[in-house]
Amino acid sequence: MKLWQKAALSCVAVLAAVVAVCSAAMLLYARHTILDISRQQTLAKQRDLAASFSEMAGYYLLDTDSDTVQDSLVRYCFDRFADDTSVLMRGGEAVSSALDIDPSALAGTAGSQPWSSLRDSRDVFEGKVRGRDILMASGTVLVRDEEYTVYTVVDVTDIHRDLVRMALIFLAVSLGGVGAGAGAVTLLMRKGAKPLAALSAAARRIAGGEYGIRADVRSRDEIGALAEDFNTMAGAVQRHVAELSETAERQRLFIGGVTHEFKTPLTAILLHTRLLQRVNMTEAERTASLRHIERQCTWLESMTQKLLKVITLRQGIVKKPVPARELADRVRDSTRQLMADRNVTLETDCGGEVLLADADLMQSLLVNLVDNAGKAYDPGGGDRTVRLTIREGVLEVRDAGRGIPAEAQERIFEPFYMVDKSRSKKLGGSGLGLALVRQIADAHGARLEVDSAPGRGTAIRVLLPK
Amino acid sequence: MSNRILIVEDDEAIASAVTLNLQVAGYDCAAFDDGEKAARSLAEDHAYDLALLDIMLPGIDGFELFDHMQRYNIPVIYITAKTDSASEIRGLRDGAEDYIVKPFDMLTLMVRIEKVLRRTGRLNTVYRVRDVELNSETRTVTKGGRIVYLQPMEFDVLLLLMKYKNMTVTREQLMTEVWGYDYVGETRVLDIKIFSLRKKLDLGDAIRTLPKLGYRLEDR
Repeated sequence: MKLWQKAALSCVAVLAAVVAVCSAAMLLYARHTILDISRQQTLAKQRDLAASFSEMAGYYLLDTDSDTVQDSLVRYCFDRFADDTSVLMRGGEAVSSALDIDPSALAGTAGSQPWSSLRDSRDVFEGKVRGRDILMASGTVLVRDEEYTVYTVVDVTDIHRDLVRMALIFLAVSLGGVGAGAGAVTLLMRKGAKPLAALSAAARRIAGGEYGIRADVRSRDEIGALAEDFNTMAGAVQRHVAELSETAERQRLFIGGVTHEFKTPLTAILLHTRLLQRVNMTEAERTASLRHIERQCTWLESMTQKLLKVITLRQGIVKKPVPARELADRVRDSTRQLMADRNVTLETDCGGEVLLADADLMQSLLVNLVDNAGKAYDPGGGDRTVRLTIREGVLEVRDAGRGIPAEAQERIFEPFYMVDKSRSKKLGGSGLGLALVRQIADAHGARLEVDSAPGRGTAIRVLLPK
Repeated sequence: MSNRILIVEDDEAIASAVTLNLQVAGYDCAAFDDGEKAARSLAEDHAYDLALLDIMLPGIDGFELFDHMQRYNIPVIYITAKTDSASEIRGLRDGAEDYIVKPFDMLTLMVRIEKVLRRTGRLNTVYRVRDVELNSETRTVTKGGRIVYLQPMEFDVLLLLMKYKNMTVTREQLMTEVWGYDYVGETRVLDIKIFSLRKKLDLGDAIRTLPKLGYRLEDR
């Protein structure tokens, strides 16, 4: 059973119980009150009748009158006040009666109402006679030493019937009320449960892989808040999944790239080895072949070094304070030969600041940038300077070389991307240098900026986090 | 006349190895390391029997270069490091004869070159070492213009040595190519054929024995 059904059912049950108890209590109270009023009226009527009768009879009756005269007078006096409810009895015999029943017989059978509010409750009797509900009040009066009993017998069948009718109306109204209430509660609960169903559906679709799904629930209650949290969570899940698949895709491309890049040197090595094995070569050819093999192996070796660095980088780094000047000196030392070979000058400019970085990796990053900058110069004269500046957490390597075309600038940090592949290869490029730069920058939480124009040179900036 | 092959490959090491290998085997080769240069040279000289094209090339790539080859009716074999099927499909649908994926073996490449040349009717069927000439069509061998009669097996051994001249042909290769895969007999039969070839054609010093490896027919 669903939650909203449970809630609706229990609400309806409570409502029904409350209505039933209230209705019953009201009915009982109304019945009690109405019957009490009838009793009091009946009793008052009887008392009135008895008093009037006894006063008049006492006034008219004389001891001297004969019994017959006296009887007539008594009857006369009684009838003056009596109506169709009145009965006068003397010694078990009816003197005057508007009814065909014997009230004295009734008095014994019908029980008085114990909870009646009447003081003279013992004088009031209720009962059923020939299918009719009867209310009877009685009292004795003395007329000339003779004891008379005055009865007022009221037919209260209609009142009882009205009470039953009232109860029925109450029942109908109550049932209607409970029904309407049940309907309202059900609707409300259902409406309340709808967002939960929407949430549940959204959760199922997300579990099925549709990470873009959001729960369309707009309400200001707790369910609305839950939906908002749910959507926030779904967003986070989607982001993480996207990041993961992006990482996986990058790795896949990277491995594909590595394999691709290894194929050409391996093919060359294989072909030259076979040549040396199988072909009668001249001494010059043999030397050339061996040189090819050596060069390819050297390239593979440097590529492997860089790959190893890329892979170890993924396992995290340790940052320590590094004086900028020391870093610049280390870069100068390790690029001295490279720069000299290309007839390029390295100028460094840095203050006394201390960077928070992994010194070896940051050196590797700068060496790669400086090496690249050096390669940007085509053979020839003119200004051949590479400038390394470290100021306020920004490391910049600038050259005035051939520059990078705008469309290539976004891609230069991709593994194995080369702006001019054959030119890079001739200069011993692996296509991994700038990829490594990006990896190191990422590991430091640093941002990379490229500022370059073809023919005017390039500046690459590493912005360390503040 | 030997077959002329155009090689367009930007990796110098590979280009040099392929060129040298084809040259010693008797092919005439021209190599370019740039697609554009190769395309330009075609205008002047397009008498090639086959082109070996790398796909990733500076200037214009192998696919584009293919159109130039078609203009001069030169069959193409692609050399590629791309293993993704998309480029293979594109390469072959365009009408390339074959493709070979790096890293490849020179013997495989030579077999494919020969197949393409044969299919396109360009295969040079006359092999020459010193004054010995072998015609694989007519299955005749001449020495100094005079016909020399060889046994079928001797002819097949000589054909293989000539096809891969200046290259070591292994005993296994000779056995399987001439006698068939399932040959389980004495390999001494090979030594006997070589002995008689040397004698009949006076190639005693040209057919070199490489102990434990095989034989090499040298003319350089």
